[in-house]
Amino acid sequence: MIEIEHLTVRFGPSTAVRDVSLTVQDGESFGLVGESGSGKSTLLRSIMNLNRDWDGRISINGLDAHSTPRKRLAREIQMVFQDPYASLHPRYVIGEQIAEPMRINGMANAERRTVELLELIGLGAKFRFRFPHELSGGQRQRVSIARALALSPKILLLDEPTSALDVSIQAEILNLLNRLRRELSLTFIIVSHDLAVVSYMCDRLAVMRNAEMVELLTRDELRGRDIKTDYTKALLAAS
Amino acid sequence: MSNLVDIQNLRVSFRQDDGSYNDAVRGVSLSLGREKLGIVGESGSGKSLTGRSLLGVLPPYARITVDRMEFDGIDLTKASGRQRRALRGGRMGMILQDPKFSLNPVMQVGQQIVEAIRIGDRRISGGEARKRAMAMLESVHIREPERVYGLYPHELSGGMGQRVMIAMMLVREPDLLVADEPTSALDVTVRTQVLSIIDELVTRRGMGLILISHDLNLVSRFCDRVLVMYAGHVVEDLVASRLHDATHPYTRGLLACLPTIDGPLEPLPTLNRDASWAAA
Repeated sequence: MIEIEHLTVRFGPSTAVRDVSLTVQDGESFGLVGESGSGKSTLLRSIMNLNRDWDGRISINGLDAHSTPRKRLAREIQMVFQDPYASLHPRYVIGEQIAEPMRINGMANAERRTVELLELIGLGAKFRFRFPHELSGGQRQRVSIARALALSPKILLLDEPTSALDVSIQAEILNLLNRLRRELSLTFIIVSHDLAVVSYMCDRLAVMRNAEMVELLTRDELRGRDIKTDYTKALLAAS
Repeated sequence: MSNLVDIQNLRVSFRQDDGSYNDAVRGVSLSLGREKLGIVGESGSGKSLTGRSLLGVLPPYARITVDRMEFDGIDLTKASGRQRRALRGGRMGMILQDPKFSLNPVMQVGQQIVEAIRIGDRRISGGEARKRAMAMLESVHIREPERVYGLYPHELSGGMGQRVMIAMMLVREPDLLVADEPTSALDVTVRTQVLSIIDELVTRRGMGLILISHDLNLVSRFCDRVLVMYAGHVVEDLVASRLHDATHPYTRGLLACLPTIDGPLEPLPTLNRDASWAAA
């Protein structure tokens, strides 16, 4: 479970996230929607402590995000980034990329688990010795998902996981994510600018604008067009 | 009326490590009047290469063969480098995906538009060019052209930067605009706005437009005609309003794999690629 209370993030004079509070339950898939600059990625990066300078309280499965050591937190929560071209090390083979978090955490059997993970995400053990540039965009995104799962976290933060991919590949990745969530009982927070993706993937969603959370909706409310703010209506009309 | 663009059997290939050539575009033919044509396909389908061949901005190591490539009656296969440079910017313009990479980072955006004007016609005075640049910024719906004129690209938002790009391309009043994923880097709300600006200007000036995109629905809403490309071929040529009557399994597959706001929550259908599509 993720609990966020009165989170505010400032970068110099500008405020990127202003007083956001929300709770994501275990096993839930939660969406964050908004334009670029609305603060949705900053919110995600703050939960992950990639951005350490924030006010408020974030608790992840009962652990305080500020004071818990990074290694401990990494076993609870992991992140998948938008651009699989930028998030993999270009000179590490796939097997090394996936095994690295396990090595850092001194886990035994890293090699066996790497093969298991490769099977789990549908690539297979033979991909272990390939370099990222030998893979397509969709395959690379699968690798970054496998790497995120290496420490068996319970929560995945997904920052625009499919927006760098073709629609046909997007469908494959979304299906994969849904299957993994079911099989591993994961909790997702998905950032996306695409309402259709969020409506397909998420049980609940928050709409962000200018650093603030303007509306919190369930999937049924979104689908029933039970929307209160004009901004969400405009967003819906545009997509 | 003769066609603005006529391409017959275009092939673009790249040399591989073993010395053989790999065809990225395999025999594309298209003709374009003063209309809006969309080219849709996945990455690697050859859609951008097709647009770039027409402008003549492919890297020198690309091998191009074509039976016929004409722009408004000019044979592009015989045109000299000088002729083609004169056509580019003057009569053909191109907008790329990300304004961050296509604008000069150390030059005020207004100055960049003025530069485009004065490259086209040296006789235009600085003051006159500035006036035209202002008017152009206004016509792409930039509210304070005076202020925006003096800004540098990093001070602009994505949507604003793309509008500056459009202004720069259209200020020379080209006959053809090739827009390669012009809105993929933009937010949905800004996307519609930028497209409607392109639409307005293209329609008013009676230009031809080639819109290259991976987004089938966007293209069908915006264009008159849509070419669907797969593995270097045109697999389907459709009237945009009849996109949903597409017959080719690839086009149908692309349409089916999109999630929708009100769609079912079952696993999305994925494409089962048929080897015969690439051979067709």
